[in-house]
Amino acid sequence: MNPPAIKLALPAGDLRGPAARALDSAGLKVEGYGEGSRSYVLSIAGRASVAARVFREKDIPIQIALGNYDLGVCGLAWVEELRARFPQHPVVLLGNLGVGRSGLYVAVADGAPGLGSLGGRRGLRIASEYPNIAEAFALATRLPAYRVQAVWGAAEAYPPEDADLAVIAAADEAAVSAHGLSPLFCLLEGSAWLIANAEGLARKDLSPLLGPLTGGAGRVEAPSLRLPPPLPPTAGRAGVSPPPRRGDMLRMALPDGHQQRHAVAALRDAGLLPPEGYGESESVRRPQSPIPGLEMKVIRPHDMPQLVATGEMDLAVAGRDCLTEHLSRFPSSPVQELLDLGRGQFNLAAVVSEEVPASDLGDALEHWRGQGRQVVRVASEFPGIADAYARGQHLGRYQVIPIAGASEGFVPEDAELLIEGTETGRTLAENRLKLIDSLFRSTTCLIAGKGREQSGRRRRVFDQVVAALRSAAEAARSV
Amino acid sequence: MDRPLRCRGMRDTLPQEMRRFRRVEEAFRAACQGWGYEEIRTPILEHLHLFTTAGTLSPQMLGRVYSFLDWDGWSGERVVLRPDSTIPAARLYAETLDQGGLVKLFYVQNVFRFAEGDESREDWQCGVELIGDSQPQGDVELILLGREVLAHLGLEADVRLSHTGLVRAVLAQAGLDTSEQLALYDRILDGDESSLVELQARLPELGASLQMLLAMEGQGGAYLSNLRSAFTKGVPQMEGPLDELAIVVGALEGLGCRCLISAAMVRNFEYYTGPAFQLEVAGHRVGGGGRYDALISLIGGEQVPASGFALEAGVLAALLAAEASERQIATVALEARDGESLASAFRLASALRAQGLAVQVAGEPLQGSPVVKVAGEGYVLVGRAGGERHLASVEAVAEALRESARD
Repeated sequence: MNPPAIKLALPAGDLRGPAARALDSAGLKVEGYGEGSRSYVLSIAGRASVAARVFREKDIPIQIALGNYDLGVCGLAWVEELRARFPQHPVVLLGNLGVGRSGLYVAVADGAPGLGSLGGRRGLRIASEYPNIAEAFALATRLPAYRVQAVWGAAEAYPPEDADLAVIAAADEAAVSAHGLSPLFCLLEGSAWLIANAEGLARKDLSPLLGPLTGGAGRVEAPSLRLPPPLPPTAGRAGVSPPPRRGDMLRMALPDGHQQRHAVAALRDAGLLPPEGYGESESVRRPQSPIPGLEMKVIRPHDMPQLVATGEMDLAVAGRDCLTEHLSRFPSSPVQELLDLGRGQFNLAAVVSEEVPASDLGDALEHWRGQGRQVVRVASEFPGIADAYARGQHLGRYQVIPIAGASEGFVPEDAELLIEGTETGRTLAENRLKLIDSLFRSTTCLIAGKGREQSGRRRRVFDQVVAALRSAAEAARSV
Repeated sequence: MDRPLRCRGMRDTLPQEMRRFRRVEEAFRAACQGWGYEEIRTPILEHLHLFTTAGTLSPQMLGRVYSFLDWDGWSGERVVLRPDSTIPAARLYAETLDQGGLVKLFYVQNVFRFAEGDESREDWQCGVELIGDSQPQGDVELILLGREVLAHLGLEADVRLSHTGLVRAVLAQAGLDTSEQLALYDRILDGDESSLVELQARLPELGASLQMLLAMEGQGGAYLSNLRSAFTKGVPQMEGPLDELAIVVGALEGLGCRCLISAAMVRNFEYYTGPAFQLEVAGHRVGGGGRYDALISLIGGEQVPASGFALEAGVLAALLAAEASERQIATVALEARDGESLASAFRLASALRAQGLAVQVAGEPLQGSPVVKVAGEGYVLVGRAGGERHLASVEAVAEALRESARD
């Protein structure tokens, strides 16, 4: 069987529905895409030469730039995020699909002073899923000694306690305000675009897709990133320092996403479930606290170790996968596992295509070398763990591809090896993958900073929370 | 090899290039020591924030640094492969040497900046920093020192002088606030012609004079006088910078050194506050520097005036003529491979090296170099042309080898 001539990368997530409708109205029916099929590889009715694959939106410009895919659909913000760091990337913007309108905003907590007051302020913390754009903003405005916090999500929840600024995607200014933030500056406004790899465009016949998708409206100039001019240092520094942390409050981070139901169960057993705002089916960023002196915030588990390390959070309920990832990258970080909550168990494993005739890594490496492959590509949402594994297993020349998700679809075309969480193995089998090595067992755990001195009420609440979670975890284990 | 093993933009320095590089370095080191400078070295990794602090490096330059999260980067604090050596030297001064008085430092070290395509991303700089109150003699000293290094290398340097205060004064006069000034200054430096038109519209009374200041260069004292008569009435803040330049130009011209004045010259470095200069050889920019009085306080030290410059060692080395290695390397031939023969060969080589000669032990001699053999109580020297001489002592062999090196 010949490989399909044209490869198309399509977004998962919020853009999936609108993108499916845009493709549909151009006469391209991607089987199962709009309905959210669990399969990552899709075909287009009547166009046998096209193979479509579903990615996290963030990964699409990278896949196009690498030349793994010829065409892709994604929001402009992710293209600009790539361009901000790699200005020479070979991604061409072909046409506006007119769906998924969104802006990229610099925002502060409500009531904080405006953009002008930032000039010359040292040590500003900027949280964003778009760290390269956040960096470009800080450089353009000449913020001295800023710190960009690259986060996996929920950047809008960071100001004011955990960051001074956030760079976030939102439909419009009203949507920024709905997060309890004030928009300071709009960096970008745009919608989803059809993008292409420059070389593919120059050498390959992509007309079966280009025709229907770029036919209609005339070419519109793509909006690009707007950056503010340099901000002159403000005269007095008074009144612009970040709001002081409420000294005697203990701060605890709770996970959203897959980990949430495990955290809810652990908190309920310990009698610490927020009365409102955090449960099996609800989640707000700042749920009501179950006890006085405790403040809770819901963020992405990937981002917890850093916040605990820097002392913004005192405690966090996170997966061991995220903690291990953090420690693999930063061995000197002061974060440690305090307590195994024993829930949400899965294995972090090395995974390959079913078709690799090998049952362990050594045989798999031999197989790939036999095929003439010089670089082993390792894709993972945990690039630090993947890198440590590749070094430790003597993979030779290898390349770690950090990805945002939808990892099962990367093998075999775009990576040889996945470092991937697997619970029952069902998803692996569905995607024609198999496990060849287990790295470690991950469960939900409680993490905290090493050697943090706490006193007074904060100390008491800390001890109370840890004790309640510990006895609940022990009780659950003895059942 | 189908794909280079080297990283893009990274160069190997081969023996012949290394010899030229060392000549540059030695000329620089000798000149610096002659002027009372002392050598330092700074680490290759620094905190990124040292460079992002306003007024140090421009965003264009910062967009090209190699910054990353290292193993200690758990807080999100980035480090950077030093893109410049002046800022690290200023940090070193602020942290360890800040005890008043004049501090004169020099270094030879590499800097890393992303460059497009196959252009070099690692550059070696011979730099000096003169920290403490040294105006105006320090500004002149740096230029003379730079020219002296180049003269040692047999290169004739052209000097181009500037003063960041000239353009800044005009931009302030145009009623632009600090951020607009910076933005417009960047555009002027980028050669954006519309920036000049925009400025002319804001300062109609200066009219065509702006062209003379921003798009032209002039010769020494004469051109400075022209600038003075065209500008000081309309832009009084230009008087200070023009006075500072006039002193430097006066001294240099008095020493027979001609210089070009170019107002819009300093690129990508925002830390210069006074006279700045560039050295050029046959149209190649080989170095430059200037006064940066605000830098040390910007990175957290005391308010200390300072100035400095750096020569591009790689550019200079490439301008030098290639030369063959002058050293003759003699070979002590190995007669047998047993331990005793090896010991006697290495003993002889060592005795000859003690006489100041370069000697190796080998089975095969180097092409066209003399060979020494142990022969009973004495030695046999096989000359480069093949003739054999019997010699009784190590001293006699050494003398004969020295003779052969002179031929």
